Amino acid sequence: MLLSKKKLTVLALTAMTTFSLLAAGCGGESASNSSSSSSASGDIMQTIKDRGYIKIGTKVDVPLFGYKNPDTGELEGFEVDLAHAVAKKIFNDPSKVEFTPVVAKTRGPLLDSGELDAVIATYTINDERKKQYNFSDPYYTDPVGLLVKQSDNINSLKDLNGKTIAVPQGATTRKAVEDAAKAAGIEVKFAEFPTYPECKAALMSGRAAAYAMDTSNLAGYVDDQTKILPDKFAPQEYGAATKKGNEALAKIINDTFQEMKDSGEMDKLLAKWKLNK
Amino acid sequence: MIHLSGVNKYFGDNHVLKDINLHVNAGEKVVIIGPSGSGKSTMIRCINQLEKPDSGEVVVDGINLTKSKGQLKKIRQEAAMVFQQFNLYPHKTVLENLTIAPILVQGKKRTEAEKTGLEFLERVGLKDKAYAYPTQLSGGQQQRVAIARALNMHPKIMLFDEPTSALDPEMIKEVLDVMVDLAHSGITMVCVTHEMGFAREVADHVIFMADGQILETGTPKAFFENPQNERTQQFLSKIL
Amino acid sequence: MDVNNPFAIYKWQALFDARDIFIDGLTTTLEVVIGALILSIILGIIFGVAGVFPNKIVKVINRVYVEFFQNTPLVIQVIFIYNALPHIHVMMPVLLIGIIGVGLYTGAYMAEAVRGAILSVPRGQVEAAVSQGFNYWQAMWYIVLPQSKKIMLPAMANQAINLVKNTSVLAMIAGGDLMYQADSWSGSNMYYGPAYVVTGACYWIICFALSKYIGKLEKEAEV
Repeated sequence: MLLSKKKLTVLALTAMTTFSLLAAGCGGESASNSSSSSSASGDIMQTIKDRGYIKIGTKVDVPLFGYKNPDTGELEGFEVDLAHAVAKKIFNDPSKVEFTPVVAKTRGPLLDSGELDAVIATYTINDERKKQYNFSDPYYTDPVGLLVKQSDNINSLKDLNGKTIAVPQGATTRKAVEDAAKAAGIEVKFAEFPTYPECKAALMSGRAAAYAMDTSNLAGYVDDQTKILPDKFAPQEYGAATKKGNEALAKIINDTFQEMKDSGEMDKLLAKWKLNK
Repeated sequence: MIHLSGVNKYFGDNHVLKDINLHVNAGEKVVIIGPSGSGKSTMIRCINQLEKPDSGEVVVDGINLTKSKGQLKKIRQEAAMVFQQFNLYPHKTVLENLTIAPILVQGKKRTEAEKTGLEFLERVGLKDKAYAYPTQLSGGQQQRVAIARALNMHPKIMLFDEPTSALDPEMIKEVLDVMVDLAHSGITMVCVTHEMGFAREVADHVIFMADGQILETGTPKAFFENPQNERTQQFLSKIL
Repeated sequence: MDVNNPFAIYKWQALFDARDIFIDGLTTTLEVVIGALILSIILGIIFGVAGVFPNKIVKVINRVYVEFFQNTPLVIQVIFIYNALPHIHVMMPVLLIGIIGVGLYTGAYMAEAVRGAILSVPRGQVEAAVSQGFNYWQAMWYIVLPQSKKIMLPAMANQAINLVKNTSVLAMIAGGDLMYQADSWSGSNMYYGPAYVVTGACYWIICFALSKYIGKLEKEAEV
């Protein structure tokens, strides 16, 4: 360690100050743009309608939710159907949607830049995220589960004391497991990886003793060498996210989901994807 | 002091040394002449093993170099070489050029190496250039430094590989003067050169080489006035 | 400033509050940089000299090393050490993987820089040194390498700077380096604006300082 912590702090502070000034300069412009937020929101909705289709981000590697079926090449899943329902509500035609694959890390930036109108991609609602994005009411609740190797003789969360757990980057899983571990009175370490297959690889090589992820997602990664522990914790609520300032679209999505719940259509859809517990 | 017997050397398919036998006694001065490409340089470089013979024996100062490789370092300190292109170390001062090998190879003290180094520089008339860099010197001066560098190893044998061939004509004499002076000091010398005046003045034997063979050996008087081999006669008639 | 702005003030505030995470990451990155730099220079000199060694087998070893590490992606090498070697019971700590992985990879490029620089020194220099009783390695170390510095240093400087940036490969294997911490922190709260700007600035500062330092060495070598 060549540099003392103090020096590093000074360094970081200098850099931050410099870039804050820069950012403040950029911010001034966008602040004036969104000064009348409600009319801006209406404008965005109008833009979507003029365009003739809505741009929605979904997962492509989460079976049952958003999954590109390698056999058919088709994008399919519960969240894909939800996106079609939103399109039907706006355009009266479920096919008026353009899908973009997202991973945990890219969901925020793609919304911010306007590349996407909405994200329906196993996006867990939490306070930090609510500050930046509008979330619909939850459409699905999924607890976090743990995948372990059968040969490792791990049978509960407690057996993971002092061990490393693989979690995907940009997900709320880490926080959920941290809290559960604290509640169980054990200490665990984390290793974050950019993709789900890398988490699985780390588990198989012994770099991590467990792979923690939303249970429905883990189901796609079980094989004859691994098992899911019975422990389930921290139910994660999934919501559809839209950009702040686009309240009109947020409302339409929320209304769509509410109507589906009221009509029983949501339950049918969950049953279709075997997600009704 | 130097014995080459049955030495052969190939560069690929090219047979550059053919069954060479050469014997030089302690204190003798031998001058080797011959057309370019005749193998003169290769032969002299076999003496300090810059070239490794493919067959035959090289014995220097009683040590058989083709058998005992461990003695190579010792022989290279005893047989110092002066090159056509000087090969001074350009990143070192003149004095450092003289002292680096005595210090690092022979384990001498810096003060001692510098003391003798300055003496040899004085002998070649360049004491005032001790702290200059080689690139600041003329070609003739550089070659005189190279001779002083070789001498500072305190060798028993001096090998010269065409020491004046890369020099401008007006600088040849200053180098030859140093070499003549050195020859009178009694050291063993083997010299590949085209300087016939030098050969006449200092050589005990003159050797004529062509096509990788030694064709004629003789005293300067016999060699220059009464050459026996036809090739020698042709060669001498062209250059004298 | 509105909440949509990736550079909103509250995000900078959050970054400042989380500075310990980034300082940890920067420290790890600096450790890997220093370790890998030392390793790559040592390897570069050894294999660079081996590349001009008058022995076929040694030359072949140099070529195998250089061609293997130059022509496969660093990411694959590092993931291989991380995830494949444990299956044969070789479990290296991540920091060590960073130093060895990035060091081996950059060493191949350093070796080519050294080899090219050595070839620029006239052959007569080695012959003169060897004729004075130096062995091959001494001749390289005392005579040839100092003369090749002028050509070697700028080429090595480029590789050193690539090395700094390449340490970010550790983010792929949960390496705890600066890039990993930026990914991890901004991935969970989506404050990626300040996170990556500061991270980029840190890499820039390390690289800039390094190239200034090597520039100074170059000036000294010219004298």
